[in-house]
Amino acid sequence: MAVGDGAELVRRCRAGDGAAWEEIVSSYSRRIYNLAYRFTSRADAAEDLTQEVFIRVYRSLEQYDSKQGDLQNWLMRLARNLIIDDYRRRQRTPHDSQADDLEDHTYHLRSGAGSVQNDMERRELGVQVQAGIDKLSPDLRTCVILRDIEELSYQEIVDLLGIPEGTVKSRINRGRIELAKILRRMRVVAMTNT
Amino acid sequence: MLCAEFEDRLTDYLDGALEPDTNRAFAEHAMRCPVCHDLLSEVKKTLSACRASQAPAPLAAELEARIIMSTMPSAGMSCEEFEEYLTDYLDGFLPAPLFHRWERHAAICERCTELPGQVVRSIGACYTYISEEMPVPAGLHERILQATLGTTDAEEVRAPLAARIGAWMRSLLDPIVSPQFATVATMLLVAVLVLTSTVSADGSVGGMYRASIRLAEKTYVNGASSMKGLINQSEKQADDKEGIVRE
Repeated sequence: MAVGDGAELVRRCRAGDGAAWEEIVSSYSRRIYNLAYRFTSRADAAEDLTQEVFIRVYRSLEQYDSKQGDLQNWLMRLARNLIIDDYRRRQRTPHDSQADDLEDHTYHLRSGAGSVQNDMERRELGVQVQAGIDKLSPDLRTCVILRDIEELSYQEIVDLLGIPEGTVKSRINRGRIELAKILRRMRVVAMTNT
Repeated sequence: MLCAEFEDRLTDYLDGALEPDTNRAFAEHAMRCPVCHDLLSEVKKTLSACRASQAPAPLAAELEARIIMSTMPSAGMSCEEFEEYLTDYLDGFLPAPLFHRWERHAAICERCTELPGQVVRSIGACYTYISEEMPVPAGLHERILQATLGTTDAEEVRAPLAARIGAWMRSLLDPIVSPQFATVATMLLVAVLVLTSTVSADGSVGGMYRASIRLAEKTYVNGASSMKGLINQSEKQADDKEGIVRE
């Protein structure tokens, strides 16, 4: 979606145009739902969270200023803030452990040179990566998702989480190492190249 | 040459260090004496076998790391430090001295040697995961619309009439006004230039005609007077010529 289109959509929404709002919802719901799922690991929780994000966006449309960046950036920033806040809140309250112990499972991932993974293998890999990420501690998990899945820069993560750059870097580093070790134990990532 | 002397000079012969005369005598002896001939070929064979077989090549990086670690342990790195610098190493941000210490540790530490590869593959797995976006669950759009607009039929929710008319006007004017602004401006400029020189004082059409006629008369008078000037001038020139001829 072009910058101008985003600004125009928001202007129409502010005027009370339902079709314009529907267009925003259908353009961004998939991305926001996926982001929410990466933090919650549960479809129902991710759905609730996505709905919450859109309610908040709808109420904040007046604050959107097209001069300060395009709609997508503004919307995703808002979504990340809400999803991370929610995640931190949930970490403070005790909850039942959702994921079963994946270390018992053995996954077979073809590591043969040049072999093209088919769709099913890729989907399976996605499930395994999510299972691995679930096992990280909340701080490391947040940083790994933002860096290696959301592909934010260090500075963007610093701004988003409000912690020093050194801390962000060391959490990303520690998170990557932990994730690699978890995936190795799950045998998702092949032990050697051979 | 005797056999004992042949044996003594064997190495020099093979090295090509014999004088030409001695070299010839050595070769002749080898041709004549079967025992020495066999000896020579045996030695040659052994030598080439020695050259072919080499000590198993150690991994250069690993050997270097071992030597440095056993001579200068301070140039080493602990496993904890190694892990701490892993992302900086992958990002290419490690300064040279740390970089070399890091690589040495990677080469010799059995516990750590596989870790960088695993981390890279795990990051790769995350990137694969990015492209595997799940579709939005059925009914979620409707839930969001219901929660925000109060209805699932977004088309039903229309902006107030005034806002719609405003938007309609904008959509109508936008393509006309903005891209053709230069053309419109030029037309206005031309109109101003033309009208200011011909328009009548009272602004009526009749007045405009009268102004045009006055303008035309004025033009005619100007033209006629300049013509008259020209004629006078040529008459004068003709008189001058006559005067010259007369003189």
